[in-house]
Amino acid sequence: MIHLDGVSVVVPASRRGDADRTLLADVTLTLTEHRIGIIGANGSGKSTLLRLLNGLRLPTAGTVTSGGFDTASQGRQVRTHVGFIFTDPLAQLVMSTPIEDVELSLRSRIKGRENRTREALRLLEERGLGKLAHQSIHDLSGGERQLVALTSVLAVEPKIIVADEPTTLLDLRNRLALRDTFARLPQQLIFSTHDMDVASDATRVLVVDGGRIVADGDPAAAIRFYERSMAMTP
Amino acid sequence: MNAHANVLGFHEPGDGWLFRLPVGIKYLLMLAMVVPPLAAVQWSVTLACLVATLTFLLTSGIHLGRALRLGWMMWSILLTLALFHLATLAPVSAFVRPGNLLVAVLAARMLTLTTPTPELMDALVWVLRPLRPLGVNADQVALAVALMIRSIPYLLGTVDDARMAARARGLERNPALLLTPVILGAVAYAERSGEALVARGIGERPLAD
Repeated sequence: MIHLDGVSVVVPASRRGDADRTLLADVTLTLTEHRIGIIGANGSGKSTLLRLLNGLRLPTAGTVTSGGFDTASQGRQVRTHVGFIFTDPLAQLVMSTPIEDVELSLRSRIKGRENRTREALRLLEERGLGKLAHQSIHDLSGGERQLVALTSVLAVEPKIIVADEPTTLLDLRNRLALRDTFARLPQQLIFSTHDMDVASDATRVLVVDGGRIVADGDPAAAIRFYERSMAMTP
Repeated sequence: MNAHANVLGFHEPGDGWLFRLPVGIKYLLMLAMVVPPLAAVQWSVTLACLVATLTFLLTSGIHLGRALRLGWMMWSILLTLALFHLATLAPVSAFVRPGNLLVAVLAARMLTLTTPTPELMDALVWVLRPLRPLGVNADQVALAVALMIRSIPYLLGTVDDARMAARARGLERNPALLLTPVILGAVAYAERSGEALVARGIGERPLAD
């Protein structure tokens, strides 16, 4: 469970004399649903909101607690508890090959290199990536990279997965495959997306606009609200 | 992005003798190949180490094509070095300078082609651990080396991309147009990598057991 209490994120203006920029303004939320989608225009504050959830970004006012840990003072516990998936999986993969990347995640949990290698291979095979284990991450397709990134994040055994537009860079086939994989994850999943089909997979959808939550609730209603608001503002 | 041709290559499982050699011995073997030609600056030493390094790679089941697939950039640097020394009428240097560089790259590939990166990192951590009282964080050094190995193909790829973009606009002769996107791309890549490390909690806990 994640709880945000009176959270604001304000950054200094890029030019002197301009007013400070408010990325998020006084957001209070309790996120308990199994699948939560976040939608909103570019620059609305979606990414900032997601980055708050695992302490990648800290609030300038208010508090964020993930699984009972405060993101500001207990960042390390928060990051073991909450896994984060980026839009661009290539930036997320830290090692040269999938098996090495998964092994790196396993270091905190499994002792002994042979054990780690065996477990990493098993996890990759579980996702149908066994054949790619020793390929360069630069030679994988976008969909394969995103699945490797997911495998690495899941290897830490987090309770919550936060994903920032995970399907944006994927083609249709990979998008469907990732949605299918997401649907079968036992973890709580909080994701942002520009794809209304993906958003409708959620049980609760938040609409972010100008750093505020402007709609919150049933996916169909929230998506309708968002589509209408986008059509009205040119 | 041309990842097949990159300076350090990447590990694929194999069963040659270099693959089975303990990683510490491999590090020593690499140094034994790289240091003498740099110290001697004689064409015979460079040639001997070049032949030895290639022999080590070939007898471990790494064929010549894979051993020498360094990418066009590395080969053009070697060629430029050789041509420069030829132009300054130093034929010995024309062989020794690029030769020593080639030996260094190939000797490094003896490690990177035959050893999984985690094993290289563990060995580095083990060697650097005694330096901890001097303020050396062995885990962070090992992680930095792993990041370097992973980032080189990406950064070389951005040079290729920038060349392509410049050529598409017919501006390929302007080095500023080539360098600016490469540098901006490198900084953005570093920022995203750093964010990913923080998100995954890597660096917050020790790497080795």
